[in-house]
Amino acid sequence: MERRSFLKSFTAAAACVAVLPRMASAADEAKKVAGPNEMSYATALAAITGGKAVVESAKVKVEAPEIAENGAVVPVKVTVDSPMNEKEYVKAIHVLNTKNGNARCANIYLTPANGEAFFGTRIKLGGTQDVVAIAQMSDGTFLSAKQNVKVTIGGCG
Amino acid sequence: MKTLIKIKPKTYAVGDIVKIDFMAMHPMETGMRKDKDTGALIPANYIDEVKFLFNDTVITKMVIWESLSVNPLFTVSFKVPSVGTLKVIAKTNNGQSVESSESITPKG
Repeated sequence: MERRSFLKSFTAAAACVAVLPRMASAADEAKKVAGPNEMSYATALAAITGGKAVVESAKVKVEAPEIAENGAVVPVKVTVDSPMNEKEYVKAIHVLNTKNGNARCANIYLTPANGEAFFGTRIKLGGTQDVVAIAQMSDGTFLSAKQNVKVTIGGCG
Repeated sequence: MKTLIKIKPKTYAVGDIVKIDFMAMHPMETGMRKDKDTGALIPANYIDEVKFLFNDTVITKMVIWESLSVNPLFTVSFKVPSVGTLKVIAKTNNGQSVESSESITPKG
């Protein structure tokens, strides 16, 4: 009997601990100032693809550190394995994040003159999240790849 | 706004694919950061468009948002077609713009 009551109280305590941080983070989110270009990841993705299906593909490579100590400067490189000629090329590379206030980072419109589909930059990440690259091909299909980045110190604010 | 264009590698021939680095000295203010002393919001000020042109033909156009780092770096590939001039035009959301150019001189 004693053991049973101990277990009961223990699980209750564990449930409390599990719920508390969630409540705290919800309160934090309400406090945040809405930025001028506030846009969620889902909205940004829909705006790019126009509702078309996005296929995860090994042809798209996102190079970003798995752990970023400083979220203010996160190097990101995107390569798309595709020919770059008039008939078949990568029209655009879109770099998105999943949790910043504005999910859009950069939209790069390429031409066959680029020779290869590559884009490199440095971005700010407010917290641990995915960096997503969407490649818009000349035949109208969308390929994607993502890389999770763990951020120890956020870079926004 | 100070800018810098670097072409890697330094020597290349016609038909080679080189990497063009474009760097701009810019604070990339998001518009959500507060001044530490006054507590007032610092207005948004970021580069929102970068264009790469070769002999005045656009090779790459970028739409940029505020989530890029301070002093942003943009790297693209470029297949050298001939001798010519590479021009990079960067615009900010406040209507400022800066133009910089670099000559493309393939060897061999």
